[in-house]
Amino acid sequence: MGFDRRAFIQLITGGTVGILFTPVVWKLLDDVSIWTQNWPWIPTLKYGEKTDRPTVSKICNSGCAVNVRTVAGKAFGTEGNPENPLSRGGICPMCSNGVQLMRSPNRIKTPMVKGADGSHKAVSWDEAMDALTGKLQAAGSSVGFISGDLTGTANEVYSAFVKGAGSDDFFKLPGSNQAASRAWNGLMGGNGQIGYDLPNADLALLVGADAFESWGPTVWNQKAFSDARPMGEKPSCKYVFAGPSQQNTASVCDEWIPLAPEGEAAFMLGVAHSLLQTGMTADASDFNAFKTMVMKDFNPSKVEAAIKVPAASMASAAKQLRAASRPVVIPSGNSVAAHAAAFALNMLLGNLNRKGGMTTVAEFPLVVEGAMTPAETYEKDVVSWFAKGANPDVLITADCNPVYSLPVEVKAGFMVAIATEMNETAAAADLILPAAHPYERFDDLQTPYGVSSAVYTASVPVTDPAFDSMAPADIVLKLADAAGSGLGVESFSEVLMAKAEMIGAEWDDYFGVPSFETEAVAEQNGPSLAARTLAKAAAPVRGTGAVALAPYTMLTVGTDRQATTPNAPCVVSRNQIIGDTMVVMMNSATARKIGVGEGSKVKMAGGTGSAEALVHIYEGVLPGVVAAPFGFGHTVGDEFSKGKGDNVYKILTVTSEAATGASVWNGSTVNVTKL
Amino acid sequence: MQTKEFKIKWGMVIDIDKCTGCGACMVGCQVENNIAPMTKKDPYNYLQSITKDRDDASNKLRTLTWMTVYELSNGEKFPNHEVAYLPRPCMQCGNPACVPVCPVIATDKNEEGGIVSQIYPRCIGCRYCMAACPYHARYFNWWDPLWPEGMDKVLSPDASVRPRGVVEKCNFCHTRFMNAKEEARLNGEDPEKLAEDAYIPACAEICPSGAIVFGDLNNPDHKVHQLAKSPYSFRLLEKLGLDPQVYYMSKREWVRMQGDNHAAKAKH
Repeated sequence: MGFDRRAFIQLITGGTVGILFTPVVWKLLDDVSIWTQNWPWIPTLKYGEKTDRPTVSKICNSGCAVNVRTVAGKAFGTEGNPENPLSRGGICPMCSNGVQLMRSPNRIKTPMVKGADGSHKAVSWDEAMDALTGKLQAAGSSVGFISGDLTGTANEVYSAFVKGAGSDDFFKLPGSNQAASRAWNGLMGGNGQIGYDLPNADLALLVGADAFESWGPTVWNQKAFSDARPMGEKPSCKYVFAGPSQQNTASVCDEWIPLAPEGEAAFMLGVAHSLLQTGMTADASDFNAFKTMVMKDFNPSKVEAAIKVPAASMASAAKQLRAASRPVVIPSGNSVAAHAAAFALNMLLGNLNRKGGMTTVAEFPLVVEGAMTPAETYEKDVVSWFAKGANPDVLITADCNPVYSLPVEVKAGFMVAIATEMNETAAAADLILPAAHPYERFDDLQTPYGVSSAVYTASVPVTDPAFDSMAPADIVLKLADAAGSGLGVESFSEVLMAKAEMIGAEWDDYFGVPSFETEAVAEQNGPSLAARTLAKAAAPVRGTGAVALAPYTMLTVGTDRQATTPNAPCVVSRNQIIGDTMVVMMNSATARKIGVGEGSKVKMAGGTGSAEALVHIYEGVLPGVVAAPFGFGHTVGDEFSKGKGDNVYKILTVTSEAATGASVWNGSTVNVTKL
Repeated sequence: MQTKEFKIKWGMVIDIDKCTGCGACMVGCQVENNIAPMTKKDPYNYLQSITKDRDDASNKLRTLTWMTVYELSNGEKFPNHEVAYLPRPCMQCGNPACVPVCPVIATDKNEEGGIVSQIYPRCIGCRYCMAACPYHARYFNWWDPLWPEGMDKVLSPDASVRPRGVVEKCNFCHTRFMNAKEEARLNGEDPEKLAEDAYIPACAEICPSGAIVFGDLNNPDHKVHQLAKSPYSFRLLEKLGLDPQVYYMSKREWVRMQGDNHAAKAKH
C-alpha cells in the first residue's frame, strides 16, 4: 500500500483532530507553564508560642537594649525594650536587623587556622585553643588586644588577661568615648564618665555630634529629642547643630552653624570668649589662666579668620547659651582638645551635674581582679601604637574590625580574630575563633557614653546558638586558664552575676538584668579647665589637600565594626551609593571650583590611599568640604557589603594633636580628580 | 467621587520635624513583613551562566520598600539650605485610586478600619494599581523572594511570603490588627474599640524619635484624632481627592508647600 496524497491528508487531518481532542498536549503545555513559573523552594513560616525576651544588642557601637521576638523558641525579630531607659521601646536600624545577622551566611561557623597558602581551614575548638595557648606561651608579654566592645564587663576580662600576660597593650577602638575620657579623666583631672542630660536640657549645642543618627547613645538621644518635641505643641528644647554638613541630625535641629571638623575646639573657645566677656566664671583652679588664654587667642574675629565661622554666629550661640536655663554643649570626634573645650564651656555655663547639663556618671565598680578601669583603657591609643611600629607576637581582636577601620596598618606576628562574621580582620588573621552573636551569649551593657545616669543591663542567651560558637569573654577566660593566669572564674556568666550582685541589681536566670538604673554621680576633686593644653591644642590644623574631608556615619551603611546589615541596603539612598560606587556630597560652589558636576566620577586621594566616588551636589555641605560616608568599601563580607563603594577610613590623614598627643583626623583633606 | 466611611479609620500622623531619616522604620518594616533582602545570585537558577544577575538593593526601581523615607530639600543654596525627611507608608486612601482599576479585585477597601487590602493569591500582576497610585506606595515582585542561606529560618510568622509577579504594599501591619482584636476578644473587651496602644504597626513602634503616631482618626480618645486637625497638619496631594488616612505635620512652611495641596480645600 502506497503512501499517496489522500493518505497524507487523512493522516494530517486525523492527527489534528486527534490532538484537538486529546488532553495530553494541553496538559503538557499547562505543566510547562506551571513548572517554569514555580518557586524553586517554598518558604515555610514557623508557628507556635510567641515571646519577647529582653537582651542587649551590641551590633551598634553604643549598644541597644532590645526584646528579641521568638516563635516556638526561634528568634525572628528584634524590637526595642520599653522597660529599659536606654531604649524606651526604640531601637536603632542596625540592631533591628540583629536576628537576620545572626543567621547570616557570613557567620563564622567553626574555628579556622590559616594555612601556608593563605587559605583558612576548619579545625576543632580544642586544636584552635591549643595552638593559641602555645603561641601565647611563646609570646610572653608581647601580647596586644583590641576590643570592639565599649560598654561590657567583657573588657575587664580582656584587660585582666592582657595584664596577666605582663602586657599593658589593651585597646578599645578610637572615638568620642576615648576623647571624652582622655579630656575629662586625663587632662582635666575629673572623675566618672561624661553624660549629657539631654532629657532635661532646654538648649543643646551639638558640636559635630550627629546625636540622632550615629553619635553616642543614638536611641536614648532620639527619645530625649522626641519628648522635647511633643507633636503640635511648643518644644521644650532648642537644638543647634554646628558641623560640616546637614545629615540626619542637622535636618531636625533648629539651627545649623556650618563648621569644618578641625575648627570645633576653636569654635567653642570663641563662644567661651563671648561668655567670659559677659563676666561668666567657672569654679576651677586654672580659671584665670583659661580666661587670659581665651581672651588673648580666641576673640571671635581671630577665630573667624581661622575657621571661617562668622563672629556673629559665635556671639549668637553664646547669647543663646547664656539665655537658656539648662544649656548643654556636646562635642564629638577624636579630638581631645575639642572635648576639653566643650567640657570647659559646660563648666563655664555652670551646668556640671546640674539638671539638663553635663553629668559625671559614676562608673560601676570592677568585678574582675587585675582589670583596667575604663579611663585607663582609654589612655591607650591604638592608632599611635601601630603608627609607632608596634608588632606584637600575638594580637587578639574581639568583636571589631581594625584591619578595615583603623587608618594605620595593623601588624602582628600572629593575629587572632574573635568575630561573629567574616570581615577583613578575620580574613587577615592567622586564627579565627567564631564568636557567639549577642543574642546567643551572656553579655552586659554598662552606661553607654553620653547617657546621663548610670544604667546597667545584662542578658542571658535568648536563642539556641546557630553555630558552634562561644562568647568572646568565655574564650578569653579559657585562654587565661590554660595560660595559668586564671582569673578565678569558670565562665563569663559567673562574672556577670557577680557584677550584678556587686552593684545591687537583681539577677534573674531567665531575664538577666533587664534594666537597672542609679543616679550615682562621681564626686569631683576640683577639675581644671585644661587651660595650658588648650592654648596649644585648640588651634585648627588642616591638611594640605584641596578639599576638606568630612566623613559621616549612618547606621544603615555601617560602622567601624559592623558592615551594613541584610535589610539595610534597601534603606540606603542614592545619596550614599549608586550601583557599586560610593556617592560623596559637596555644594555647587565647591564642585564648580574643582571642575566637577552632579554624577561626575572622581578619585579622592588622601592619607595613604584613595577612593573612587560619584559626586552629588548637595547644598547642605560647607564650601570647600566633601562629605563622604564611612562604612563602605569592604573587601571581605557578605554580598550586601563586599565590593560596595570605597573605604573612607583609608583616606584619612592621621596627625598627632598638639599638646594632647591624641591621634586625630579631623583635619583630613583630599585631592579630588575627575575620572 | 464618594469616600467610603468607616466607624474606625486607622491612620497616622507623621511629624516631619521629628523624623531624622535614620531608617529604623524601613528596616523594621522589612523584618516584620518578610521582605527578602535583595540578593544578586539565585542558587535555584540552573541557567545562571546564560541569564543575568538579579537586581541588588541599589536599583531603587526594583526594591520592595513598603515604607520609604524620602529626602526633601528647600532648594536653597548654601547656607540657607534645609533638609527634611518624609517617611511614606501606604496612605490607605479613603477613596483609593488603586482599587477601581484592579481587574481581579485583588485590592479592596471594605474592612472596618479602612485599611486598603492586597490579596496576593488573587493578584495577576498587571500593575494597573501601581500606575494609578500617585504615592508610589505599591511594589511589584520582580524576583522570587530569596533569603541568603539560613536567613529563611528567621521569617516572621505574621506575614505570608509573596511570590514573583504580584504587587504588594503596606497594610499597616494588618496581622497586628487581627492579633489585637483577638486579644481584645480573649480579654472580654470590644474588638471594635481598641485602645490606642493595643495596635501599632511596626514602623510606628520602632521609630526611636517618636515621629509616627498611630491610631483611630475617628476616635477622640486617640492622639491622631486631634493631631490631624492641627494647623500644621497636611496630607500629600490632597488636591487629588483621594482622602489619605496618613497625615503629615511640619512647622516649616516649605515642607508643607511640598505636600502640593495648593488646590485642596481646607477640609481637615
